[in-house]
Amino acid sequence: MSAAIDPADKFRHEALLYRGWADFVAGTVPFIKEGLRAGEPVLVVESAEKIGLLYNALDDEAGRVLFADMSEVGANPARIIPAWREFVTRHGGHGKRLRGIGEPIWYGRPTDELVECQRHESLLNVAFDGRQPWRLLCPYDVGHLDESVIEEARRSHEYVIEDGEMQISREFRGVEACGAPLDTPLEAPKTGVQTVRFDRDSLFGLRAEVTRYAIAAGLSAARASQLVSAVNEVATNSILHGGGQGTLGMWRDSNNLVIEVRDAGTYDRPLADRERPGPHSSDPRGLWLVNHICDLVQIRTLVDGTIVRLRVKIDPERHLHLVPME
Amino acid sequence: MGDSPVYADKHLVVTRTSEPAGLRFAGEIDITNSDAVGQSLRLAFLDTENPHLDLSGLSFCDISGIRALVDIALELDHGRSLLLHGLPEQLEKVMRVTGWSELPSLALCMCGADLP
Repeated sequence: MSAAIDPADKFRHEALLYRGWADFVAGTVPFIKEGLRAGEPVLVVESAEKIGLLYNALDDEAGRVLFADMSEVGANPARIIPAWREFVTRHGGHGKRLRGIGEPIWYGRPTDELVECQRHESLLNVAFDGRQPWRLLCPYDVGHLDESVIEEARRSHEYVIEDGEMQISREFRGVEACGAPLDTPLEAPKTGVQTVRFDRDSLFGLRAEVTRYAIAAGLSAARASQLVSAVNEVATNSILHGGGQGTLGMWRDSNNLVIEVRDAGTYDRPLADRERPGPHSSDPRGLWLVNHICDLVQIRTLVDGTIVRLRVKIDPERHLHLVPME
Repeated sequence: MGDSPVYADKHLVVTRTSEPAGLRFAGEIDITNSDAVGQSLRLAFLDTENPHLDLSGLSFCDISGIRALVDIALELDHGRSLLLHGLPEQLEKVMRVTGWSELPSLALCMCGADLP
């Protein structure tokens, strides 16, 4: 190859296309062992089931591997990049190489979460487009996942491993396109939407309305007050950076409460919602907080503005004891 | 000094407490009043060594409100602190997530006093 930079000296984002458990083990265990033998820190973020499988397959080497449960770390996919950054910061540096395995996309994951996971996969290329050399292997279950999901994996990973062979993905969209604003349409709400227009003068009243709606929908008082904090920060962004006003919509969708804020602003910093706040008090913190409160956050850039959609789970047991809303 | 509030608007009243010396908050802080609140607190703190802040009546505080307190805490001379009482759960969560729960000069008060 004539490239000036040895690909081993930068971030390598690799998709592992596997069929079945044996193929998964064959694709991941040698990758882990190779890293361990080279003295590289290894973090595996997988399902509890796969962690158990790898633990057994690695035998006495398993104790040197860091494991984390993807159903916790990646419940909200926007929290995964901060977790990888923490791993890289804590264990890397000074050119020290690292390895990771992360599988945020699994069969049966709801569509809205899947889309955010795909966005996350693209943003990884932007987040780690630096000199820190490390390899992140992302297993994709080709036996179960839809073909369109595999096609997207070829666009969000520079390297693809298939049938035991690694190749540069011809479909990779490139780092710059990976960070381009996202305009994928959001699913339209099925049930009645309560809409409220707001500006600086009505922010106080907006919080009261969101609190009432959240309590009536079945959120605990503590969870409702967290959600109100999140909504308030998004609405504040509309007031300060999105034309001074916005429209908020609230609805319920099976066991979720969804709140959406639309304004005329431009959202053009792709990693803004997953940047850990810096040491200065003026560093932005709003979207970071929102991602740590909500179960899912979807940000979309339209021609004429921005949509931020927040989703929180309603505890169904609690909900059973409440009178249904009309 | 009298009983007049240190700060008051439609959604927030801040009054002085005497033993220990400090301020009591009742209401909500957000982007509409956080700058003004910060200004008046700065003046109120000039004559108090380690002001105690009773936040138990603060039913809402956004990031801009916490930032106002953090900025004051960062300006204090070495060894001086803002001592927090009755930190509401919502505020505690926001401070923890945003990385503001470990400032030495903005600390939960351990004196155990109920502010009169």
